Amino acid sequence: MDLNFTPEEQAFREEIRAWVAENLPQDISHKVHNALHLTKDDMQRWARILGKKGWHGWAWPKQFGGPGWNAVQRHLFEEECALAGAPRVVPFGPVMVAPVIMAFGTPEQQKRHLPGIMSGEVWWSQGYSEPGSGSDLASLKCRAERKGDKYIVNGQKTWTTLGQYGDWIFCLVRTDTSGKPQTGISFLLIDMKSPGVSVRPIIMLDGGHEVNEVWFDNVEVPAENLVGEENKGWTYAKYLLAHERTNIADVNRAKRELERLKRIAKAEGVYEDTRFRDEIAKLEVDIVALEMMVLRVLSAEKSGKQSLDVAGLLKIRGSEIQQRYTELMMLAAGPYSVPFVKEAMEAGWQGDYVGAAHCAPLAATYFNYRKTTIYGGSNEVQRNIVSATVLGI
Amino acid sequence: MDFDFTEDQESLRDAVRRWVDKGFGFERRHGIAKAGGRTREVYGELADLGLTGLAIPEAHGGMGFGPIEAMVVNEELGRGLVNAPYAHGAIVAPTLLSAAPAEVQAQWLPKIADASALVVLAHQERAARYRLNHVTTRATNAGTVWTLSGAKSVVPAGDEADAFIVPARNAGAEGDAAGIGLFIVAKGAAGLAVRGYPTQDGARAAELTLANTPATLIALDALPVLEQAVDAGIAAICAEAVGVMDRLTAITAEYMNTRKQFGVAISSFQALRHRIADVKMQLELGRSMSYYASLKLGEAPAVRRRAIAQAKYQLGQSMRFVGQQCIQLHGGIGVTDEYIASHYFKRLTVLEMTFGDSLHHLGEVSARMQDTAGVFA
Repeated sequence: MDLNFTPEEQAFREEIRAWVAENLPQDISHKVHNALHLTKDDMQRWARILGKKGWHGWAWPKQFGGPGWNAVQRHLFEEECALAGAPRVVPFGPVMVAPVIMAFGTPEQQKRHLPGIMSGEVWWSQGYSEPGSGSDLASLKCRAERKGDKYIVNGQKTWTTLGQYGDWIFCLVRTDTSGKPQTGISFLLIDMKSPGVSVRPIIMLDGGHEVNEVWFDNVEVPAENLVGEENKGWTYAKYLLAHERTNIADVNRAKRELERLKRIAKAEGVYEDTRFRDEIAKLEVDIVALEMMVLRVLSAEKSGKQSLDVAGLLKIRGSEIQQRYTELMMLAAGPYSVPFVKEAMEAGWQGDYVGAAHCAPLAATYFNYRKTTIYGGSNEVQRNIVSATVLGI
Repeated sequence: MDFDFTEDQESLRDAVRRWVDKGFGFERRHGIAKAGGRTREVYGELADLGLTGLAIPEAHGGMGFGPIEAMVVNEELGRGLVNAPYAHGAIVAPTLLSAAPAEVQAQWLPKIADASALVVLAHQERAARYRLNHVTTRATNAGTVWTLSGAKSVVPAGDEADAFIVPARNAGAEGDAAGIGLFIVAKGAAGLAVRGYPTQDGARAAELTLANTPATLIALDALPVLEQAVDAGIAAICAEAVGVMDRLTAITAEYMNTRKQFGVAISSFQALRHRIADVKMQLELGRSMSYYASLKLGEAPAVRRRAIAQAKYQLGQSMRFVGQQCIQLHGGIGVTDEYIASHYFKRLTVLEMTFGDSLHHLGEVSARMQDTAGVFA
């Protein structure tokens, strides 16, 4: 047993750190460190910088143009990006659809889609949830009917994150209603500029436009955009979920945000208050324990000696911790979390802040982060999965 | 970064587990507990396996193993709910003695290694809570002989031990860091009174009073040594707690799959399934922090103390949650003496209060907090 990274891993970390320091635009990291509003341009600029280096698909194998890093290297890359204040990579392209295309797509699909994902040029969205299909995703109804060499798609997707910027969307669609719900689902790639696709904003509780409804009205999709076999989409979706691995815990970002919480608590005069400070101390332990759990998973992946079935635990704990640090930041600012001045959450605003600039986004982030225990399989669904493992069911 | 065990460590684990499976079933433990908790015979069997010499240098008849081997052994003893004072006798005492003069080490370490001597730390005092620097027992040097006067509380296996390592103050006031010496007091020494009693977890402890009791000096100004030894003890009981929780969780899962109500196994009820998922969470967070504690034992004192406090806080939380919830998941049978679950629960409860409970260690974490965060901070 050894807690430390190897000299080679340390050297790798240094290399990443130096590159990120040189290439991450300061105006972007300033926004991330202060939870200010990120524009489409901010996100895409960083995606293109990574893409040029061949790192936008940092988990990709070499044969598809990725760096071919192992689990530990991927973790170190994610950590260095997070600590430096890089924006979260929008995962739908490089993290979600790309591995499915690599594993189940045709060579033509791979050649057509993977380069645009790696370069950060093509923005992908996810079409999974529907108004009637949340946790019970397999009950989805959005219909795709085969007509000659086309599918005709009708129906609605929802909670489509950043879908307003989407060029393409990968969808789970209903192609058969005869058997079990899971056996009639297909995985379809749809050009969002196709006639009949419309995107409508959903404004969230923090006032932000982060998610959308996507409507399909007799949208014609070439049959060549089907990934894998018809009615096997559920299998591919499960493969995708299994691929998300340790970064669902988001522990690197939690470390960065805990440091920010301490700065805010000091500025607001509650860091020396025992009652408040102890709450930070508890979160500190939570984050160390989560990080140790992540490192255990990485070690197991690297050596292949033991298999750890803790993915569900990582999602549950990681999301609870995210909620807790946003909550404590808001409570640290106390009454100065109450004002809702949207302009104060934009970089470079010249107006009069109420209290201090760092107070402006705290409540909004707290509100927004309630999503973390809901999305990606709600924590209650995760508990069902964990219990099945413990009980051997 | 590597969390795999070596083949030797796995063999050590297997050896302890085989002994538990063969020689330390619940009936034996239950019998010992009902008879007052005397475990010297069990401790001797651990010596036959070589375990009591685990942390003692080979030159003194031990195996010279480190914290990871200690962790492996303690996990297995926890899984088997072995109520012998292993962490105290085989981990804490040798660590304290490592600061002693060569002749004192030569006198005691071989006997500890073969279990002919059980030596335990007697450090707790009535008003000290879990603070190691709060020492009122006095040490006086009359010529070449040291004598101690004072009282020590809840000394593990106190009336079964052959000697005690006693922190006593030869200078300074109650809470001072300086002026605390470590001394060995042998059983039967003049002016030493030992009043033993059973403990909640089926073992024993004792109250000690010392009145001008002759003692052998280990070291003066030895608070850093005491802290180091207690930290090693904390890492050991964190590992033991993981073993206890791991086994209790498995027992509970098995019960949920067999117990039927409303015509179905109770494991089919979502309210209970979510509860066992939360138990699994606390178990794995605890296991992660147990590794952390043992891996950080060799660090510089400030780093080590912070890490140990973080680990003990997490384990304290985990132990209380897992213990309470596994009893609840059993229903009525969980609160009986005849069934094994309650014994696991009581052991967890005592372990939380050993070497500092959760509130104490939360205070330590809070006081030692720095601007950076995480495992490598």
